[in-house]
Amino acid sequence: MTSILEARGIQKSYGAVRVLENVDFDLQDGEAHVVIGPNGAGKTTLFRCLSGETRVNGGQIKFAGRDITALTGAQRVKLGIGRTFQVARIFPDMSAFENLIIAIETRERNDKGLRFTFGYIAPRQQVVDEAERLVVELGLEGAVDDVAGTLSHGDKKRLELAMSLALSPRLLMLDEPTAGMSPSDRAEAVRLIARVRKGYGLSLLLTEHDMEVVFGLATRLTVLHHGEIIASGEPAEVRSDSRVREVYLGQH
Amino acid sequence: MYDIGMTVFNGLAWAMATFLVAAGLTLIFGILHILNFAHGGFFMIGAYVSYSIMMAFGGSLPLWLYLVGAMASGIVVGLLGWAVDKLVFRRLRDVEDAYSLIATYALLLVCGGAVQLIWGLNYMGVMPPPALNTVVFVGDMFMPTFTIFIILSGIVAYIGLEFFISKTSTGRLIRVVAADPWMAQLLGLNVKKIYLITVIFSFAMAGTAGGLLMPNQSLSPELGGIFLLQAFGVVILGGMGSIRGAFYAALLLGLIESFGTYFFPQYPGIFFLLALAVILLLKPEGIMGKGQTA
Amino acid sequence: MIDYRARFRSNLLIASCGLAVFAVVPLVANSGLMFLAGLVAINVVFGLSWNLLFSGAGLLSFGHAMFFGGGAYAMAVVSLRLPELPFLVGLALGAGCGALIALIFGFIALRRASGVYFAVLTLAFSELVHILITKTTFLGRNDGLVGVPRPEIDLGLFRLDLTSATAYYYFIIVAMAAAAFALWCFQNSPAGRLIKAIKQDSVRTAFLGTSVFAWQLTAFVLSGAIAAFCGAVMVPFTQIASPEIAYWTVSTQPILFTLLGGAGNFWGPAVGAILFGAIDYGTRAMHGLSEITVGTLLLVVVLVIPGGLLGFVRHRRKKTRGKAKASTAGDTGARS
Repeated sequence: MTSILEARGIQKSYGAVRVLENVDFDLQDGEAHVVIGPNGAGKTTLFRCLSGETRVNGGQIKFAGRDITALTGAQRVKLGIGRTFQVARIFPDMSAFENLIIAIETRERNDKGLRFTFGYIAPRQQVVDEAERLVVELGLEGAVDDVAGTLSHGDKKRLELAMSLALSPRLLMLDEPTAGMSPSDRAEAVRLIARVRKGYGLSLLLTEHDMEVVFGLATRLTVLHHGEIIASGEPAEVRSDSRVREVYLGQH
Repeated sequence: MYDIGMTVFNGLAWAMATFLVAAGLTLIFGILHILNFAHGGFFMIGAYVSYSIMMAFGGSLPLWLYLVGAMASGIVVGLLGWAVDKLVFRRLRDVEDAYSLIATYALLLVCGGAVQLIWGLNYMGVMPPPALNTVVFVGDMFMPTFTIFIILSGIVAYIGLEFFISKTSTGRLIRVVAADPWMAQLLGLNVKKIYLITVIFSFAMAGTAGGLLMPNQSLSPELGGIFLLQAFGVVILGGMGSIRGAFYAALLLGLIESFGTYFFPQYPGIFFLLALAVILLLKPEGIMGKGQTA
Repeated sequence: MIDYRARFRSNLLIASCGLAVFAVVPLVANSGLMFLAGLVAINVVFGLSWNLLFSGAGLLSFGHAMFFGGGAYAMAVVSLRLPELPFLVGLALGAGCGALIALIFGFIALRRASGVYFAVLTLAFSELVHILITKTTFLGRNDGLVGVPRPEIDLGLFRLDLTSATAYYYFIIVAMAAAAFALWCFQNSPAGRLIKAIKQDSVRTAFLGTSVFAWQLTAFVLSGAIAAFCGAVMVPFTQIASPEIAYWTVSTQPILFTLLGGAGNFWGPAVGAILFGAIDYGTRAMHGLSEITVGTLLLVVVLVIPGGLLGFVRHRRKKTRGKAKASTAGDTGARS
């Protein structure tokens, strides 16, 4: 098993507050790795550092063997790291379909250059076909022509996932993908994510709060506490780790 | 020695004159987060009003009347500010940034048009009051007393404003509302009233500045634009909303402009713009960073 | 699903109608009105170029005068000092001048792309250009460059004699139509879509793998080039390039056209430009009245009908349609 994402010695401070302290992190190719931890543990910060949303103050990050520490988020996406946000980010004033078209056209631009960027006054048939395929796959048929900003919370998340998939990523980072969902939606989301992971052969990195989602998806688990990793490994192992139990039982 | 001295002196003059205009602008931006284009227009109205007062008294005034005239301009423009707040600013609260900017720009146009209609297009000018219309000699340098007066006014204004903002209770209220209006409202503060006070005060400052700076200017409907751009440069560079930042930025830009004009006298007026561009290229947040009202 | 064909057809229809109206003017009106109409046509595209940036990319520019003036002066200089260069090359140079100015200043201004900073920076840069023009002897200083000739275009097989005002007027109409078409195509291309996306959520666009800065700069450069093109086309018509066309009040004009007509609609600036032409003509007698009218109108638009004329019309039509349908769907309101 190869490491697709490697982080060594990550330090991150916001002003005087040290949020991440010497974090070492590994993501294996093809696994579904979930990062959990109590509020304030630094999960979101770790996420932001790995995805490129913020710069680290120390440490090194490698993706597929390549040093990406100095790269911006946009550059990391071009290399194959997809990212969804806790509060789904989509383009609110366009239709859901147009959102997909933009994602697909962006991937084309990254792969093939500016050849198809100018000179067309309507999306190409190829792009439209792919968008339609994504719609069916992610179950967005009912939302296709709706203005994206008016979609339900769940639909927005699915749209965002569809857009991320359109980029053909190798690694997908999902920030609390089921946050704010009802239990039935949550179960549905877990099924969808698992299906997508298999279908696209993705490596996944998630942060989550809901334990059912965590144990439903994770092939590996990492527990963060006060900016440090206190356990990492198979879900069953981590579950029975004494320090983890202390942290969680103490907190709850 | 003479050259450096005079250049520094001129730089200070530019700086303090600009600061007098920029101070009110900074206040409004810090509190209301509106960049008030009309500030230039009201400055201009202040200058014209003061001019009219001077003309009404025969064109040459004793010092005290000149000062009273400036204050009267301040009051007139302050009242206009009250009207503007009621009619325009209040409605801009929920409007997008871009549109509120356009709205204040529209106000500037109205000011310019009104000035043209009332006072006409001709260039007008007035001498400083005789008491100030002298020159002070220091070694080789000759410094017009009026310019010294302006420089001192700028410094006094800065000290006064800093004191007002940090030491008085009203100033404290203004700072609280600037920092977190929602919290302020929750605490029971009359946020609307504080907004109104700030607006009136800011406009009054613009008007007074207009009245003070009016002598030695050639008055024209374009006056508003010229000082406005300089004030904008100072406010942006100083970190929006910071009076201290605006003061330092004014000094910096004033000196750069002055030295630039000394070496390249054929291109007056562009050095502070170039400096603004270069500094923002290197440090986009301005010299004081994010805006704080202090 | 958006019917792109239908959209293209309806826009083509609108453009054709507008073109027809402009084409008819010299036949029914006197030379003074024709001159005004020519300037209005140029203003239409000037407004469209500004709106590309405003509604298309979400960037508020207060400095479009620097492009318009830059293009105009480039054209004037080429016509007067380098008369051997073909007219069309001169136009291209004018547009290129605007693109260059946009590239340089856009690079600096876009580092702070937040509305207020960016807007004021464009204003400052525009004034920089204006001062440089007034102080440069080569550009005629405060008097500008006069006597710019109208061209004769040699197209090999035949010559186009544009020396008469009427002939040049028709050239303006054709040139502006072409520019408007180019702008429309850009906004409806994947590039235009991307820039619209940046406006709606730049973080999301970045995390799709796009350099937001590069594309905002692209939009700025295109907008500047077209605005400069407008200036370049205008100069042989008026036969003079003076510093007033680079003065900051010229930057107000496209803002006014767009807001009057409605920023949310592609043709909004066109409606606004025509309306403004009428107002300006009507108030030309009294100094200051035009500015007061314009300022008040802008204020009213921002405070009362931010969607402008076309936005207002659309809003009313939605209302009547909504009443007729008695549907449960929510009205998203007049968004500009």
